[in-house]
Amino acid sequence: MSPIARAAGRALLVIAMIGGVVAVAWSHHAAAPVFDMNAEKTVMGVVKQVDWTNPHIWIWLEVQNASGQAETWGFEGMSPNFLARRGWTRTSLLPGMRITVTFRPLRDGKSGGMFMTGKLEDGKVLTSAGAE
Amino acid sequence: MKYAICIVLLLVTALTVSVAAQQSKPKPPGAADWAALAKLPDLTGVWEAPTVGRGGRGPAAAPPAEPQLTPAYAAKKRELDARNFDDTEAANCLPTGMPAIMGHPYPYEFLFTPGKVTIVTEAYMQVRHIYTDGRPLPADPDPTFNGTSIGRWDGDTLVVETIGFSPLTTMARNTPHSDKMRIVERFRLAGPDTMSVETTVIDPEALAKPWTTTRTLARHRDWTIREYICEENNRNFLDAQGKAGVKLTAPVK
Repeated sequence: MSPIARAAGRALLVIAMIGGVVAVAWSHHAAAPVFDMNAEKTVMGVVKQVDWTNPHIWIWLEVQNASGQAETWGFEGMSPNFLARRGWTRTSLLPGMRITVTFRPLRDGKSGGMFMTGKLEDGKVLTSAGAE
Repeated sequence: MKYAICIVLLLVTALTVSVAAQQSKPKPPGAADWAALAKLPDLTGVWEAPTVGRGGRGPAAAPPAEPQLTPAYAAKKRELDARNFDDTEAANCLPTGMPAIMGHPYPYEFLFTPGKVTIVTEAYMQVRHIYTDGRPLPADPDPTFNGTSIGRWDGDTLVVETIGFSPLTTMARNTPHSDKMRIVERFRLAGPDTMSVETTVIDPEALAKPWTTTRTLARHRDWTIREYICEENNRNFLDAQGKAGVKLTAPVK
């Protein structure tokens, strides 16, 4: 497969993932009123805790802010029910792992958002649509 | 003599009551009733609507048709729309009721037992009880979120009729129903592991004409239904003013 075809394939997958996220978010709550669905931000941190719970998993990161202080950030993911059928397990993310998270930021400006993708140090990627 | 008549009357009353009690008591299913299930189209198993990007097997569903409301209910909807609520009570873990219960992006398990089809709904851990033993719908059931259902087979299609819905539920976003709402669902195998679900909402007070939508479900023989306790860790909320938010408190462990 040519690089262009691969890139196009990836782009399609991303679009498809976003479609899936929107559909799933609707089952419990509307995403747009609380998350800015048109914005995407990235943050790097160390996993503090993972709540493998319904109706959403929550991933808590310790992030160093600009002045070098540790802050806690929280990210809402899909449900364990949804993710466990798509390659995630409750040990996919463990405390101490370093992760780069892309997310839709909270509209209230607090430290967190809707989890979109997480890239681990070993190159593994976890997405809200499943694990790679 | 009077005494004798009284005794006879009492006996007749007792006999009538006992016969009535026996008639209303369903007979236990026998081997033939269980065997008859094997002859039905097999809708049993775990089903989920395929959605683009979620590893589904089919194309994304077309946006469903909008209900066409009567002027009175269109006015009610405009009033509710004008409140501009961010979300619904589902954000607070209140289940949606029918018909939205059948539109979740979570699986459903269909179970057949003699005289009954049971739909276990993973989202919000709910159960629909559909009686297929030939009983009629009750005349005036207590209003409930998922209504009161009976089912019958029309050839290879399971036809389910449901009435009696709680006024706390809506037929669609900001769209109330009247107490006359009736929902007819037609479940049919469209392929070995594909089910077509046609849902028609009939409401002479709220709808200018019946509102029909169709949905396709894919069967996952290797899936099981999981627990879903919405209150386990629900950080979403909708307040009384209709403002949605997220409770971002520090980890509790």
